[in-house]
Amino acid sequence: MPKKYSIDTIPTPPRHTPIGKFEIERGADCINCGRCAIVCIYEVHKRQEEDLRSMAEPVVYRCKGCFSCIQECPRATLTIRDGTDYSRLGDSYWTPEIINTNWYQAETGKIPVSGAGYRGPFSGEGFDSMWTDMSEIVRPTRDGIHGREYISTVVEIGRKLPAIKFDSHGEIVSHIPPTINVPLPIIFDTLPFGRFENVYGAMAMAASYLDTFMIVDAREGFMGEGQKAKGKRQKARWEESHLIPYITQPTLHSFDVDWINACKMVELEYEEDVLGVVNEVKTLNPGTIISVRVPFGDNVAGTVEELTYAGIEVIHLYADLNGKAVNQTRKKSLLIKDMTQNVHRHLVDLKIRDDVTLIVSGGIAMAEHVAKAIIGGADLTAIDLPLLFALECRYCKNCQEDLACPVELKDVNSEWGAQRMINLIGAWRNQLLEILGAMGLREVRRLRGEVGRAIFLENIEKNTFDKVFAREVSHDANG
Amino acid sequence: MPTVKKAPSRFPNEICEIEVQRDISKCISCGTCAKVCPFGVHERKTGYNRVSKPLSYLCIGTSCEDKTFYCVNRCPRNALSLVISSEYRTIGDYRWTRALIIGTWKQAETGIPLKGQRYEIGNSGGGFDRIAFNFPDDEGRGEMGGEDMAHTLHLTPHTSGDISTEIDLNKREGKKISIKVPFYGGGMSFGSISLSVMLAKAKAARAWGTFTCTGEGGYPEALKEYDDNVITQVATGLFGVMEDTIQRVKIVEFKYAQGAKPGLGGHLLGDKVTPEVARMREAVQGSSLFSPFPFHSVYSVEDHKKHLDWIKELNPGAIVSVKVSTPTDVDMVAVGSYYAGANIIHLDGSYGGTGAAPDIAKKNIAMPIEYAIPKVHEFLKQEGLRDTMTIIASGGIRTAHDALKAIALGADGVVIGTVELVALGCVRCGNCESGRGCPRGIATTDPELSKAIDLEWGAQRLINQYAAWRSEIVDVLKRFGMRSIKELVGRYDCLIENHEITQD
Repeated sequence: MPKKYSIDTIPTPPRHTPIGKFEIERGADCINCGRCAIVCIYEVHKRQEEDLRSMAEPVVYRCKGCFSCIQECPRATLTIRDGTDYSRLGDSYWTPEIINTNWYQAETGKIPVSGAGYRGPFSGEGFDSMWTDMSEIVRPTRDGIHGREYISTVVEIGRKLPAIKFDSHGEIVSHIPPTINVPLPIIFDTLPFGRFENVYGAMAMAASYLDTFMIVDAREGFMGEGQKAKGKRQKARWEESHLIPYITQPTLHSFDVDWINACKMVELEYEEDVLGVVNEVKTLNPGTIISVRVPFGDNVAGTVEELTYAGIEVIHLYADLNGKAVNQTRKKSLLIKDMTQNVHRHLVDLKIRDDVTLIVSGGIAMAEHVAKAIIGGADLTAIDLPLLFALECRYCKNCQEDLACPVELKDVNSEWGAQRMINLIGAWRNQLLEILGAMGLREVRRLRGEVGRAIFLENIEKNTFDKVFAREVSHDANG
Repeated sequence: MPTVKKAPSRFPNEICEIEVQRDISKCISCGTCAKVCPFGVHERKTGYNRVSKPLSYLCIGTSCEDKTFYCVNRCPRNALSLVISSEYRTIGDYRWTRALIIGTWKQAETGIPLKGQRYEIGNSGGGFDRIAFNFPDDEGRGEMGGEDMAHTLHLTPHTSGDISTEIDLNKREGKKISIKVPFYGGGMSFGSISLSVMLAKAKAARAWGTFTCTGEGGYPEALKEYDDNVITQVATGLFGVMEDTIQRVKIVEFKYAQGAKPGLGGHLLGDKVTPEVARMREAVQGSSLFSPFPFHSVYSVEDHKKHLDWIKELNPGAIVSVKVSTPTDVDMVAVGSYYAGANIIHLDGSYGGTGAAPDIAKKNIAMPIEYAIPKVHEFLKQEGLRDTMTIIASGGIRTAHDALKAIALGADGVVIGTVELVALGCVRCGNCESGRGCPRGIATTDPELSKAIDLEWGAQRLINQYAAWRSEIVDVLKRFGMRSIKELVGRYDCLIENHEITQD
């Protein structure tokens, strides 16, 4: 049995005062009776240390919105409202809740738990228009004494042969393409911003600990700690094997054999003549896995088909930050959930699905998105913004306007950052295990394309409510 | 019928929609407001010069505007104003809107149902929140076909006689058990909630001739006097399950899974395992307790039957409910449960749940109850088993209207959980598990915090809330011209899609 993979999380507090969900204001007619301090179990209310006769300003970020102090105050002088800064976090896709839960996971390494039922909308767009299935009585079991039966989250990157051929002596004659095992279906993608050396350092350390990979734009020259000589690509240090250099405009790039030999995998931007570059790299080192980065958009399935037939082993399909198509002409933008399914289905129909590994990225914001992307047909996902959230990023976009970063990403200590990323991924993986366990799956590879283990809003609405609401008058049903 | 008695909030400041503000700089403490307000919002206590701070939660709001006693108009100094309170803006979420939470509190206080859409549905944009009743005398059932229309029209308005809200829980051979209202209390274990909450639930159940459930955490001695109204749960951890507890009750519930965390099993954190909880569960104090998933001895319908046979052997008079979550094949599970000998199939949808559960599970795993009910109802009909199985639905039943819709979709009755906690003053902050547990003293066994709920007060709040629900159910049945809740089961034609629901 292979060694069990596990991620050790260590509580790693934030450096800055967190942004609270609520704001509490103490009115002028407070009589300093201290009732609030008694009823609050989260230590929002305390007396002033320098003058115990007066109440201190509420420590609002600790407030969990139980309303006890509000309701118990004999003078009714406390007011609660939604936190202004909190409500302004992120945008309509990267909601305050998403950012906040990622912060929580990066700090604690725990999966978010709450009581009193679900509180969100019934359904929504994209990933929010599907549910995952469960099974009442199947394995893998779990219990408190023996833990849980091991569920593997390993995925392979590379081409998988449908069968292996042997000669009359029992020797393998098939050419076995190179593959890499990643212990979890999450790799780190290039960052949209916050591309600082210490941030990369944190990512590299986390990737190394997790035994996963990080994709780094080769232009940025980052090849590991201690590598200062710009423009000169030299072997990186211990993180080296966890890097996937991403090469933009590969047709204009000149490849160096030593450098190629140091890479397990290289990612190339999709261009018309990308296949020529692929051949060039493969000639330098046939063992290097090559991924082609293709944007989701017009005719993406056709492009993937063409590349797969041409022998490309890995295709990284990327959407924009909000999981929408990058270049497309149609009016209504498709979402990553459906686009992934379309590409997967197309490859299955052509019977070439296992010839290629699909990495999917863009808008992967929560652990559930990893599972849902895989159900749609991805082999694995690549994530970006959540890694920055692990470093306390508030997605204020100040940096894009050259304004000061409120959490000083530039000054992040890489080790602290790495641990926060490890915590985040640890929590995500545990949630993935919950989903797999509930379905009765023992390995994530079996989840790929398992649309039968998902419930899609569109289908279930139709199947259930067409009849209930007599939506269509059927001409032959009453006969 | 049990007596409804006023059971006001246990807090000095009840959260309410309208806040009455008095501008101290303008007020001359003339006391006019205290004289005119018939609701007691303003008061000048004897011996005081100043008028007290307004008790906003007593205010009926702007509906007072055209009355002679409207304090805002009567104040000679224009010192009074009505605003939406900041608390009201802050409380609530998509599923449990501010109006639903505060409305439930009011119903628990008075026992009178509140009318109006905002007290009937939430703002989640799907499921129950997009379904409305298609009352026969209502306009605009444009979406219905001719045949359905005729079906609706032959109903005549019901004018006289009592309307029954009683449902049968056992439609198979054996002891007949019925409940007077089409709902009963969901399983909440001792440990996850305090003893007084558990007893309050039992007391209300007895008063209303229905049931409450122990959940998986043992059967506290104090519940003994309510034996006839208690369902005991046999769940995957078998915590607190003893021959004696099985033999004492009329209904035994097998919990395969729960909607909030399907396929995950239960988890009681070490902090909540107090000496008492540990004793009841035959476990060690302070150590986290995991309820495994699934039943380690059940991997087939035959194994399932073996379990049920075991219960029936121990207590031949008991009927058995099988509580399951709502996977795609929930219809098959229901039929399997029938062949294993179950009397009730209890479907627990994914959006409900009271105790702590991983957010990822609540949001994603298994389908919402609105889909599962008709799925199972139809399949049991096809299999010719619908008349022998009782379908009970839970997981997101927030209002009497949700309950009625669930029944019209094909359930016989419903199980409620969160609404009971809200009736007891839960604000749905969701922090049941963190630190010392529920800050409101409901879902906690912390010795200090759990003092907050007084048994008598709690029972009365629940009795009132049940009364409000029953009254609303009777009202709706009356509008459909039905004499019994049983007539509503599976009556899809009583429902209509409502696409235009928007809430504040």
